[in-house]
Amino acid sequence: MLLMAAILIPLVSAVLIAAAPEARAKTIALLGTLAQLVIACYAATVFDWSFSSRAQLGMSVAWFEGLGVSLSLGADGVSLVLILLTGLLGPICVLASSTAITTRIRTYYAWLLVLQAAMAGVFAARDVILFYICFEFTLIPMFILISLWGSTNRRKAAIKFFLFTFTGSVVALAGLVYVTWFNATLDRGAVPQVILSQNELLGTWTFDVSTLITAGQMMSASEQAWVLLALMAGFAVKVPLFPVHTWLPLAHTEAPTAGSVILAGVLLKLGTYAIYRFALPMVPEAVALYAPHLSMLCVVGIIYGGLICWVQTDVKKLVAYSSVAHLGFCMLGMFALNNTGITGSILYMVNHGLSTGALFLLIGMIYERYHTRDMNQLGGLAAKMPVWATFMVFFTMASVGLPGLNGFVSEFLCLLGAFQASSSWGSGAWGSDIEPVAAATPGALGPWFAMIAGTGMIIAAMYLLYMVGKVVWGPLKTPHGHAGGHAGHESSGADDHPAPLPTDLSGREIVTLMPLAVLCLVLGVYPKPLMNAIQGSVDQTVAVVREPLRTHAVTGAPAKPAPASPANTHGEGAQ
Amino acid sequence: MLNLIQDTIVHTQPESLGAAVEKAGHAHGQTDWSVAAIVALPLLACVLTGLCAALRVKSKLPAWITVASLAGAFALTLKTFAAHFMGAESHPFVVHVFDWVTFSWAADAHAQGPQTNELAANFAFYLDSLSALWMLFVTGLATLIALYASEYMSHDQGAGYCRFFAAFSLFVFSMACLVMADNLLLLYLGWEGVGLCSYLLIGYFYKKPSAVAAAKKAFIINRIGDLFLAMGVMLIFVQFGTVEYSVLFEKARPYIELARAGQFSQIPFLVKLIPCLLMGGAFGKSAQLPLYVWLPDAMEGPTPVSALIHAATMVTAGVFLIARTYPLFLLSEIALPVVAWVGALTALLSATIGMAQFDIKRIMAYSTVSQLGYMFCGLAVLSPSGGVFHVVTHAFFKALLFLCCGAVMHGFAGQLDLRKLSGVMKVPGWRIVGFGMLIGCLNLAGFPLTAGYFSKDMILAEAFVTPGTAVIGWILLITAGLTAYYTFRVFFRVFVGPVAYELGDEHHGADHGHDDGHGHGDAHGHAQAKGHADAHGHGGTHHEPHAPGWAINTVLATLAVLSLAATGLYFVGGDHGAVAGLVDQSSAGFHSPLAHHGAAEGAPAHEAGHAVVSYVPEFVHARAHGGEVHAGTIFGADPHKAMYFISAGVGAVGIFVAFWLHLAGRKSAATSRADALLPALGPIPGWAQGKWYVDEFYDFLVRKPLWVLSHIFYLIDSYLVDGLVDFIGAAPRAAGKVIRPSQSGELHGYALGMAGGLVILIVIVALVAT
Amino acid sequence: MTLAQTGAPAPMAPSTLGHYLLVSALLLVIGLIGFVTRRNLIIMFLCTELMFQAAGLAAVAFGRYHLNLTGQTLVIFILTVAAAEAAMALALVVLLFRRKESLNAEEWQDLKG
Repeated sequence: MLLMAAILIPLVSAVLIAAAPEARAKTIALLGTLAQLVIACYAATVFDWSFSSRAQLGMSVAWFEGLGVSLSLGADGVSLVLILLTGLLGPICVLASSTAITTRIRTYYAWLLVLQAAMAGVFAARDVILFYICFEFTLIPMFILISLWGSTNRRKAAIKFFLFTFTGSVVALAGLVYVTWFNATLDRGAVPQVILSQNELLGTWTFDVSTLITAGQMMSASEQAWVLLALMAGFAVKVPLFPVHTWLPLAHTEAPTAGSVILAGVLLKLGTYAIYRFALPMVPEAVALYAPHLSMLCVVGIIYGGLICWVQTDVKKLVAYSSVAHLGFCMLGMFALNNTGITGSILYMVNHGLSTGALFLLIGMIYERYHTRDMNQLGGLAAKMPVWATFMVFFTMASVGLPGLNGFVSEFLCLLGAFQASSSWGSGAWGSDIEPVAAATPGALGPWFAMIAGTGMIIAAMYLLYMVGKVVWGPLKTPHGHAGGHAGHESSGADDHPAPLPTDLSGREIVTLMPLAVLCLVLGVYPKPLMNAIQGSVDQTVAVVREPLRTHAVTGAPAKPAPASPANTHGEGAQ
Repeated sequence: MLNLIQDTIVHTQPESLGAAVEKAGHAHGQTDWSVAAIVALPLLACVLTGLCAALRVKSKLPAWITVASLAGAFALTLKTFAAHFMGAESHPFVVHVFDWVTFSWAADAHAQGPQTNELAANFAFYLDSLSALWMLFVTGLATLIALYASEYMSHDQGAGYCRFFAAFSLFVFSMACLVMADNLLLLYLGWEGVGLCSYLLIGYFYKKPSAVAAAKKAFIINRIGDLFLAMGVMLIFVQFGTVEYSVLFEKARPYIELARAGQFSQIPFLVKLIPCLLMGGAFGKSAQLPLYVWLPDAMEGPTPVSALIHAATMVTAGVFLIARTYPLFLLSEIALPVVAWVGALTALLSATIGMAQFDIKRIMAYSTVSQLGYMFCGLAVLSPSGGVFHVVTHAFFKALLFLCCGAVMHGFAGQLDLRKLSGVMKVPGWRIVGFGMLIGCLNLAGFPLTAGYFSKDMILAEAFVTPGTAVIGWILLITAGLTAYYTFRVFFRVFVGPVAYELGDEHHGADHGHDDGHGHGDAHGHAQAKGHADAHGHGGTHHEPHAPGWAINTVLATLAVLSLAATGLYFVGGDHGAVAGLVDQSSAGFHSPLAHHGAAEGAPAHEAGHAVVSYVPEFVHARAHGGEVHAGTIFGADPHKAMYFISAGVGAVGIFVAFWLHLAGRKSAATSRADALLPALGPIPGWAQGKWYVDEFYDFLVRKPLWVLSHIFYLIDSYLVDGLVDFIGAAPRAAGKVIRPSQSGELHGYALGMAGGLVILIVIVALVAT
Repeated sequence: MTLAQTGAPAPMAPSTLGHYLLVSALLLVIGLIGFVTRRNLIIMFLCTELMFQAAGLAAVAFGRYHLNLTGQTLVIFILTVAAAEAAMALALVVLLFRRKESLNAEEWQDLKG
């Protein structure tokens, strides 16, 4: 019921906003998002963390019975953590929009809340159709947010965003429906009794997630490969992985601040979450086989995206491209397919949402004051806005991956995961060993992937410090007509700002940033609760993927740099 | 020894953190929260000074908070040191504070080895004689330099002052984490943390584009080193399953035994790779070839920062890293020789650059790079105690030298050009600075019986003792002569000789990044902020240099005394002094983690048929079994004895040359006898002054290509990758354009179409029916 | 229970059905030709009604032929819909006439691609 409430309350609030007078819209939106956050927090206290791998707080109501579709909700540790992230960013986005949005206020907040509901729905869904509906439904509010309140090139950005991601996810739906069909035609007699007793719906027409996951594992290798291809077509676009990322910089740059925050904070995580939830456990054999290829895309994205950041002049575009690089790390950890990597990857989802979301907020604050994001026109703002500058440097460092802040933990674990994941460890390929290599896991990535991806850490320092060096440090430079940067200039500018903005950050803006800053610090210094929260779920996923991974490692995956000879590995196993 | 480590160290399970601390405390009969407080106090100072900034404190309060906290940390360090590491034998111990990146997972059912894997990297502190020694001089010097800075930075009181001391305290916190970490990940935290503070403090005068650029350069170049360090840490974790030192040394013991037995070919390649990766990190942080270029630029920061971070403490982190993981470095034949060559070449190269510079702070920066090269050589020629001793003595005298330069800079309005300063010592009020400088210079030049003399000798002599490193020894010896020259070039030009000076062009408060000054009122007027350099005119009211006040003088005097007193460390406790005794009991000592555990006594120095590729195998074996080996000689004499005279002679020559060229007969500040000599050397002094164009070379070789590549990528992304997407999007539109004319808009057209369709349908049905 | 079982009229002969269908087809073709050739909106509308009734006639005939009520049910629906549609369509025609003072269908070509 709690999860249902977390989805319904924003929806109800959206209806209320539509019905209420314009002046109330902001208040209702804030209350609605806060209520969602409170419910998510309460759910976290009710949740039994010792069984965090299990879907809890569940409820299931038959929906279209004939089609096997049900309104089935439930959350495991990973889902709940992401629902919490969604809930946290909600009020922050409402607060951040307070002065930036001056037209069609009711429409804006109503759609924002619908978006919140849809995102929570994606993470809570335990039914494939419900998941898909929520997954796609996030597009409509975001499309409207970008196309109505975006900047100059907003219509192109909105359309590209919608069509690009929508096209991908239709293919993903086809993949999911194929698995459903496969499950429906499954011969129950051929399934071992142990598995049957745990999944009663096996072999029937159902969209239940856990049943389909079990069924998916029984598919043949080639079927799995096709399903993986279909799933990645949808989810990789959303992440976005390297060649299908081009909607992201455009959408990020054109979206209003709150839109960018949600886009970076949660919407991108829908893709990574979906890969974690569906691709990994449903088609483990294909994932194990193609992990090196997918990882290569991640590595290319890290370096390619990072270098592109370095030559941007638009601050927002720079941060947008940095998401391509950052999500490359996240997915690299995921495709390492071991505990370290996947734990890092899920931490990365949360951490990227916090730090990049905050960077977008900060850029939005500057844009509200100077109406430009061009780094050639802005500079040395530390002299004028010390509080803003402090936050900017802080979140930049979180984004760079400075140890002690949140980004480091996840980035290091992702890289370490990739580093470990090689079957050539301890295979004798590197010389004789006195004792087996302690912490290696099967896989086909290995140190080269970590090393090359690790150069992304250097590139991240290059572009982020380039940005900070231009915007925060240096001689003060503000656009013409904003030499003073005073409130008076702002309000006389054009429109009817409700309250003129001070030179430095206002109390509201500090309140907006503070929770993110605190979380960045806490998760950097004491990430343990978060790690514990997701550990059960990660263990389960790794257990599913491990066996095929081992098989592929022994027979030699195509892309492995130095395949261990089968004889040798068998010999090791016999010892 | 290793057993002792194992006995003492409580390897804690994540669940029982409270118990672990208690246990560790119990073993030593005192609460170990004082150890945690060493780290916590600087952090507290950072938070409090940050609070001062928020409350717009304009007084010197932040400085006093910092000084008090750091003094407290120093006192606690001293207490810990006295309690645990004063005796002849000391035991490392671990203080667990709380869990950080710690989780475990069930191992693969097929895996050999342990059934659960754990990544345990906690906020836990590993105290042994090495880290205690390091913390002593870090906190001690930080306290003194904070006191110095309280006066030095006083022109910036307000937000800038708070910012300075917040970053300063944060630096000490990070350094404490780096040094006292019980695992490599926490060391990495400190490692990057000091990098951040270095970034913030180099860029302290953030309105100067050069300072911003220098800060960025320092951070990025350090990151290159950090990548290697991170890879090294990962490799250690994969190979040994731990990042905690205590467990690591235990797990590495079989390999160490092999090394001791001279059987290097038995050690896996991956284990040998570890030190090669770690040294990359060390080269970045400690400004060695090829990553040294950031350190001279880092002099853009305020001088106390240069003294503490870029001379005394942070830049020695690389030395610390190697000393800490010394057992791993002994496992590879090539790791230490590489370190030796890099150190020696860096020492020589930067000494040659230092000789040709005119900015006294830059000269000191290059001398730091050069001396760091010495320290690396000390470690690499198997004299870790020499290397560490040099770190300690260098910390004192180099901090002293920088602070003296800073006092000059402070008093002479930013003047640092040695051609525009002369006879400073004779100006009233500058006596203490002058004597401080003299003591520092004597130490740096290796003048007999100073601390710098003994620490340098230990390294030089050992280079000749260790077989195969005599070339390194000769390079270092030449460098010692150059060092004496350029050091006294500064002293003779600036501090003695005829009194003549020209004030610099900066005035306190006019140009330094006083970010509190811009209220709403004056913000309009300052739309284009004045850069650092174009603040002329402010000096007009200020013709006289102002002598340093009590805080600066006290600190200089204290440091001068300490630099001299450091000599004493050579004479107390043990063969090579107290520092050597401490190092010997730590991970860097030959006698601790390499202690005998029934290794194959008398095994051949190297296996038959296995060519010795370096001096390491033979010598490690010899050290492990016979202690001192006088394998090498210099001019047929025992290097340890001969070096006292040789290095004194080389130093004296350097000082005399400096005297002859730069003091004798000099009439003005700008010219000296050296000017006459320059044409004879052709273009070489110009190249040296241009820093051998290494920066330009890197720019051409790395930065420019990368920049071009980035632009190409951006073009590809905009036109090719996104172009493809747009093309796919445009294809239906194009197809529609082709079919569109068929839609005439005429009702009858559509009706005819319908009728036609109907006819076709009927025909089909008719055909199918028949 | 079908009509046949209740003692309702005997089944229609196939040839009779053919006659009905022939009339229905004629009606349809007349309507179609009228729709295509005429330009007056009201005439065109009347022609569509003619085609409608052709379909209705065929449906009734088939219903009678198969002795069930489906065809008649269909026709009743068609009639109701046609009535509603006629009201809508005539209203639209009136509106269109007001716009351009003409009932010529060729005046309206806004859907041209």
